[in-house]
Amino acid sequence: MEEKRYVLDLRGEPCPYPVVYSLQVLAELESGALLEILADCPQSFKSVPEEVVKAGYEMAEPPQKIGPTLRFLVRKP
Amino acid sequence: MGEIIKSYYQKVIAEFWDQKTTVILLGILSGLYFGTVGVVWAVTGEFTRWGASFLKWMGVDVSPYTYLKIIKYKGTVLTRIDGVMVLGMFAGALIAALFGQNFKLRIPTAKRVLQALIGGIIAGFGTRLAMGCNLAALFTGIPQFSLHTWFFTLGTIFGTYIGIKITLSPYFRGEPKLVKASEFNAENLKANTQMQPFLGWLGLIVFAGILLSRPEMPNNLKLATVFGFAFGFLIQKGQVCFTSAFRDLWLVGRTTTLKALVWGMAVQMLLTAVFIAKGTPAKVLWAGPNALIGGLLFGIGIVIAGGCETGWMYRAMEGQIHFWFVGLGNVIGATILFLVWDKGVYKYLAEPFPKFSLIEHFGYLPAFILTGLFLLGLYLWADLREASGRSMIKNKTMPVRRV
Repeated sequence: MEEKRYVLDLRGEPCPYPVVYSLQVLAELESGALLEILADCPQSFKSVPEEVVKAGYEMAEPPQKIGPTLRFLVRKP
Repeated sequence: MGEIIKSYYQKVIAEFWDQKTTVILLGILSGLYFGTVGVVWAVTGEFTRWGASFLKWMGVDVSPYTYLKIIKYKGTVLTRIDGVMVLGMFAGALIAALFGQNFKLRIPTAKRVLQALIGGIIAGFGTRLAMGCNLAALFTGIPQFSLHTWFFTLGTIFGTYIGIKITLSPYFRGEPKLVKASEFNAENLKANTQMQPFLGWLGLIVFAGILLSRPEMPNNLKLATVFGFAFGFLIQKGQVCFTSAFRDLWLVGRTTTLKALVWGMAVQMLLTAVFIAKGTPAKVLWAGPNALIGGLLFGIGIVIAGGCETGWMYRAMEGQIHFWFVGLGNVIGATILFLVWDKGVYKYLAEPFPKFSLIEHFGYLPAFILTGLFLLGLYLWADLREASGRSMIKNKTMPVRRV
């Protein structure tokens, strides 16, 4: 299962790229894959989880905020 | 009891606030600001004056430029209402960012710096061409019942669409780098930010101290500073990004921010009407092509830059270096506009057109109804766009670099 887990490090990227990149990468991934997204654009804290869910993916964990770093774990069904 | 206080503290001080609530609060405050200080909440006029001051400092004679007379260019940042209000906004946004442990110096890539500058210049130029930004020509402008704000808003809606097309072009989009989790160096994600809330409280004390220790400062300047602080604090806490209101609706059908803005404007409209009726002069400007073209350029610019004139302010205070360049671009763009204003811009795009106030032309009730319908139109457009399920990135294959 290990090989099905990926990391997308978007720290430093301003809006709208965190949402665009997240959706773009999720579209490319194989079914069942887990994607860990790291971002530090504060607005992403709401927009990324809401938009990936709207696009049909699942949040495997609630969004995490570690100081200024935001972490999302998304599963592609 | 202690638990309850702790949870309140967490919600109010540490976490982001609900956007709609925050924007309604901003609407109320902005209406009160207009009623008590007598000017609308706006920032780009001040940016223009910074550009003028810089040129003056460089030895340029800025007295012939009529645009500077229109925006009442005189004094310094510390003697102007807009000046201290903007400083207050910076302080409020910085302290809010520290409270939430959101401060971090984020270094952009060279490409994004270029993008920030270009977008900032286009937006700064457009916004001053229209005589106001996302505030004076939109959020705080529509509740002034001036028709030019409608033109600006429509321009912004189309401009943001064009801006997204540019932002998603292969050059600017770039390629996201996807790493296998086993390959990823999960360096310490733990941030050293526990000190930030204390610095925030310290900053708040210093801010209050500065205000209290200046008895010679006129009351209206003090009031403007406090309002500015509240505006800055709120836009950071609610992450109120006007750019995203239109951009994300086009992009993925996200309605949250635009709907929040509509609510904020509706509440504000009722408040400003009371003050206008009581004699505070409304800000009404030329309803000409300048507003439409200005809105269009503004829309294009803010999306390329990633933030508008208030968006860069709070993000700059979060330590996002990218947005310092957006701010610089705004000042440059606004400066270019006042330099060319007398070279035909005013004569052809603004002067022949009336300063059209809905209240003066139709009376209060029709002005309410018309503005209400305009706001309802925005709200409906948001819902329809979302319901259509359209998205500018769905079903588009974009390259991903796998590492």
